[in-house]
Amino acid sequence: MASEPPVTTGPQGEVFDLGYQRYDGPREGRSRARKAIYWDGVKLILGIGRGPKSKILPLLLFISAMLPAVVFVIILSFVGDAAEDFIPGPADYNGLISTLLIMFGAIMAPELFTPDRKDRVLDLYLVRPITSTDYAMARVAAFMSIVLALVYSGQIVLQAGLILTASEPWGYIKDNWADIPRFLAAGFLVALFITAIPMAVATFTNRRAYASVFVIGLFTVALATVAPLVHETCTGQARTVSGQVTFEELHCESVVGDAAKYVNLLNFGGAPLFMNDLVFDVRGDSARELHDAIPISAYALYTAVPLALIWWQYRRIRI
Amino acid sequence: MPPLLQAAGLTKHYGSTIALEDATFDVHEGVTGLLGPNGAGKSTAIKLFLGLIRPTSGSAEVLGTKPYETVEGRARLGYMPEHECLPSSVTASEFLMHMAQVSGLPPAHARTRTADILRHVGLDEERYRAIGEYSTGMRQRVKLAQALVHDPVLVLLDEPTAGLDPGGREEMLDLISRTGHSFGISIMLSTHLMGDIERTADRVIVLEGGRVAQEGPVSDFTKDTTTLLVEVDDHHDEIITALSASGVTAIRRGQSLVIEDAGDAELDAVRDALASSGARLRRMAPHRGTLTDIFRDAPHGV
Repeated sequence: MASEPPVTTGPQGEVFDLGYQRYDGPREGRSRARKAIYWDGVKLILGIGRGPKSKILPLLLFISAMLPAVVFVIILSFVGDAAEDFIPGPADYNGLISTLLIMFGAIMAPELFTPDRKDRVLDLYLVRPITSTDYAMARVAAFMSIVLALVYSGQIVLQAGLILTASEPWGYIKDNWADIPRFLAAGFLVALFITAIPMAVATFTNRRAYASVFVIGLFTVALATVAPLVHETCTGQARTVSGQVTFEELHCESVVGDAAKYVNLLNFGGAPLFMNDLVFDVRGDSARELHDAIPISAYALYTAVPLALIWWQYRRIRI
Repeated sequence: MPPLLQAAGLTKHYGSTIALEDATFDVHEGVTGLLGPNGAGKSTAIKLFLGLIRPTSGSAEVLGTKPYETVEGRARLGYMPEHECLPSSVTASEFLMHMAQVSGLPPAHARTRTADILRHVGLDEERYRAIGEYSTGMRQRVKLAQALVHDPVLVLLDEPTAGLDPGGREEMLDLISRTGHSFGISIMLSTHLMGDIERTADRVIVLEGGRVAQEGPVSDFTKDTTTLLVEVDDHHDEIITALSASGVTAIRRGQSLVIEDAGDAELDAVRDALASSGARLRRMAPHRGTLTDIFRDAPHGV
């Protein structure tokens, strides 16, 4: 016997094709466009919304940036206040991770500019309600935000460790409160520098690898060229700490006057660390004996020129 | 109703090269074809309307504003380039949502619009696949979708059927026609393919050597003409001789005879010539114009 067809007694759904619906919601213009490009840049760097492989590198870099701070805090927690004499403090931390920051800039900065140009997605951005400067600056801001997070993360861990492991935490804060605005200011200056040069380089090529290799080469060549010059003029007494040529034990003035100090400014990788020392008032390198205006000008030059180059490159871009 | 696009004496020179010279035309609601061979100035006109370049002289206005003076007007414009311009590693859904926001839509609205537009271009089933895995036809539809996702008033399409196979081309032309006639989004379609214009456009602007050669409704160019086509199997020469004796000039074109300005007297002469020659008549009809005729009849040749 054939079975009865099922009888539906409940409410039944029906699909309607409403056709094309016009949009009459809000339009937020350039400000929304800038925000969208900024957040897209942040997600690109962190690998958000992409496969696991895209997240590995930023994660490793963040761990590496915080690792020294975590190690110092562990040492402090075991040894106590006595360890403060030999572990690096907030003033030293940016120098300690400077090589890592340069590597981060070299590897990740091209990610924000080169694919859009290579795939010609840029053509679709530039026909929307933004200028090429809006696009470039939103990307620069996105990258700088990540570098800032990288720079601050280690400092925050270190500060927290120093406060919590101090025998009198409140006393430590009262004595060292100035370290907080200092590390924020110094971190900002370091992040701006780490953003400017790699991003400027990335505007000149459509290949990420070329940009990365060029940036690493640029810093290496600057260091490798300046170090022997300084050694020669300073009778071989210069030494390198954390990848930076320092003049702690030099008496260059008596030998070659200001020459060695000026030559050292050509090692532009040291420029943000001049600023770091200036902010923390621990100028212990060659800049110590130069007027403050000179290393500040060098830093301004090494950041303003790349930023201007980015602006110029995108101003002249044509689709 | 004011025009959506307005070119007034629009001129663009690149050094000594003249890309566009004193072009004056309006684009109104509906689908308008911008027709011309390569180098006619179509891409230059699009760039001027998008505000990407400044005119040497004259003006280009979009929705009442000069696009090279402010970028805000682009919020209501869409553009689909001819060339490849899509990222390969992101999904169509993610890409369109981002592009909607770059056009000024808040994230929640961008999400809704993305879902809607992907459905309209027939990619809703494929929206979570990386664009790099798409076929040429699907990528072309993503290009159209990104131009529509923010619900523009007007979309500029640059060679939208380039690189598509016949099936893909039909689908794309159908989509363009629906967008222009059912969605209420006006379109300026730049192409060198006359068939694309005939299939989709209401009006056509013909550019040639940077100048506007002709413009008007497409139907004006494709209506019946006074030229008579007579297709016969044989006896072509006898018919031509008979017509000539009656004072009617006929030209042989393949199996057909072409008689210009055919009125009643000419039709009578053709009837008599066919009867006397004993030729077998296949077809006799007025010639229907095509956009190809614009270029065939052009004084400069194309």
